[in-house]
Amino acid sequence: MDMTALMNPFEKVASDYYGYAREAAAGGRKVAGFMCSYAPQELLHAAGYLPIRILGREGDTHRADELLQAFSCSFARSVLDSALEGEWPFLDLIMFSHTCDTMQNVADLWRAHTPDTEVLIASVPTRTDGDAPLRYYMAELERLKAKLEAKTGPITDERLAASLQVYNDHRAAMNELYALRTAKPGLLSGARMMQIYVSAFLMDRAEHLALVREVIAALNAAEDAGDASLPRVFVAGGMCRHVGFIELMEAAGCVVVGDDLCVGSRSFAPGDGSASTPIEALARAYLGRIPCPAFHRDGRQPGDALVEMAQRDKADGVIFLLTNFCDPVAFDYVPQKDALEAAGIPALSLSVEQHREPPEQLRTRVAAFAEMLREGVNA
Amino acid sequence: MSEQKIFAGVDVGSATAKAVLIDETGTMLGTSVIASGGNLADAAQRCLALAAEGAGVAPDACAAVVATGYGRERVEARHRAVTEITCHARGALTLFPEARSVVDIGGQDSKAIALDERGRVLRFEMNDKCAAGTGRFLEVMARLLEIELDELGGRAMHATAPVTISSTCTVFAESEVISHLARNQRIDDIIAGLCNAIASRVFGLASRARLIAPTIMTGGVARNQGVVKAMEALLGAPISVPETPQIVGAYGAALIARESQKKKE
Repeated sequence: MDMTALMNPFEKVASDYYGYAREAAAGGRKVAGFMCSYAPQELLHAAGYLPIRILGREGDTHRADELLQAFSCSFARSVLDSALEGEWPFLDLIMFSHTCDTMQNVADLWRAHTPDTEVLIASVPTRTDGDAPLRYYMAELERLKAKLEAKTGPITDERLAASLQVYNDHRAAMNELYALRTAKPGLLSGARMMQIYVSAFLMDRAEHLALVREVIAALNAAEDAGDASLPRVFVAGGMCRHVGFIELMEAAGCVVVGDDLCVGSRSFAPGDGSASTPIEALARAYLGRIPCPAFHRDGRQPGDALVEMAQRDKADGVIFLLTNFCDPVAFDYVPQKDALEAAGIPALSLSVEQHREPPEQLRTRVAAFAEMLREGVNA
Repeated sequence: MSEQKIFAGVDVGSATAKAVLIDETGTMLGTSVIASGGNLADAAQRCLALAAEGAGVAPDACAAVVATGYGRERVEARHRAVTEITCHARGALTLFPEARSVVDIGGQDSKAIALDERGRVLRFEMNDKCAAGTGRFLEVMARLLEIELDELGGRAMHATAPVTISSTCTVFAESEVISHLARNQRIDDIIAGLCNAIASRVFGLASRARLIAPTIMTGGVARNQGVVKAMEALLGAPISVPETPQIVGAYGAALIARESQKKKE
């Protein structure tokens, strides 16, 4: 199995986030940016756009710092700075979702300071369960659809259904890949897996799907001869796109077996399929997910789903990647950590700055956690 | 001359490099503490040679060497590198078998480690990116006050009304100390305030790691009675301090070297 060759296209995209979109735009394709995994990408796709996710970048954020307060997270800072610097001239429009106050205000700043890019806001209901949120979100999707139609022409039910199909097929393939990797982690490193899922948001979804299917076929055909005595780690937290963090864990002797990142598995939750129209199917796909920390559901305990995922992936420990000043994720962290401890799963948290590589001090922390888990694994 | 095998632990920290040689029974044969300086590989070699000299053996007589500390990858003689969390836990637990937690305050970081009944690391917390509330903080303050580092703890014990130092940022705390000096506050009261500031910072880590008594304090700062007393007050429980708290990490590393040798056999 030549994993290196299979990985080439993913590595290319993951090492130059916006290069694919830039080339597509140069070739005449319209590109729409979206900010969060709750943006209904299928709608953008059906309107004829190449939807790409805005992930930020490394580097200082001086221009954004002029507009934001100290409590705004580094993700907000990084994406706003790129917008102000005009780094994404190929974007026709940008779609935000109302996830937190900071992102809502970044949307307003974007609108005020970069008048050339149209800003759309998908107002996802904060409570995601029940009939009223579903009706609300379907109306919201109709509103967005009309906005897009005014720009690019009618979005028929057939076109929307076709886009839903591409995205659902992709989600199914990603879940298959996740399951295979968890079973055979020695064949595909966690760092490579991150390159695969991050690139899903940065290229044409159908093209990505075809590449993922090749990886699945290769993994199915190969035996995992990896070291089964290494501690298995599940990665939790919100937004983290830095392969460096995963490399840090693997260099310390951990096997990364799964994640609950919003650039990762959280975005590939399957829809429930019980819909009578494509708009309803779209609404159900997004509202039916395990809510991210910015959303709520009646009776939801933030720790339950995480413990379940960690146990499903036979994780020996969980490492949280927490972006400083991301309060929805930080509030969930404490009950999640407590629930893991009650289930006998040790946890470590690392703070993440979205515009910086992981600092050297974290190396000792991760290595010590790996040593602690190894004692437990080999006890 | 004994037929026993010798094991070494080398702990290259940000401020000092420490080495401990032990025999098969775990008895310490030789120890050394030197300044780390700018060349970590050289410091590691020198402190290992010094400890060997103290033990009356050749530096290359060790059957296994485990390196720890932030310069652990620079120890050329190492057979293995292990983090200081694991090493401090092992060292402290061997010296105090009843220990259930360890607070280690070194030159640029501090850690709170919770242990289970069998002495395994259960949880740990480390200070965040900056070195506020660590040994380096005390070094800067000692220089500012023109007092030997080793004297700070004793002076703190003579405080009658400790001042409040609200910042553990070394630079900001320095200017606070200067304003206290300008107000003619007693030096002992200022020093006690500095010790309290460190303890309060580390107590935050201890709370997050939910430390259980009995607690052992290791690392260079544990030699400062002022900080130890302030930690005891915050934890509400007595703390045990080994005779030479700086070498506990190196001792733990030597013990791990001995265990890995046993496993091999």
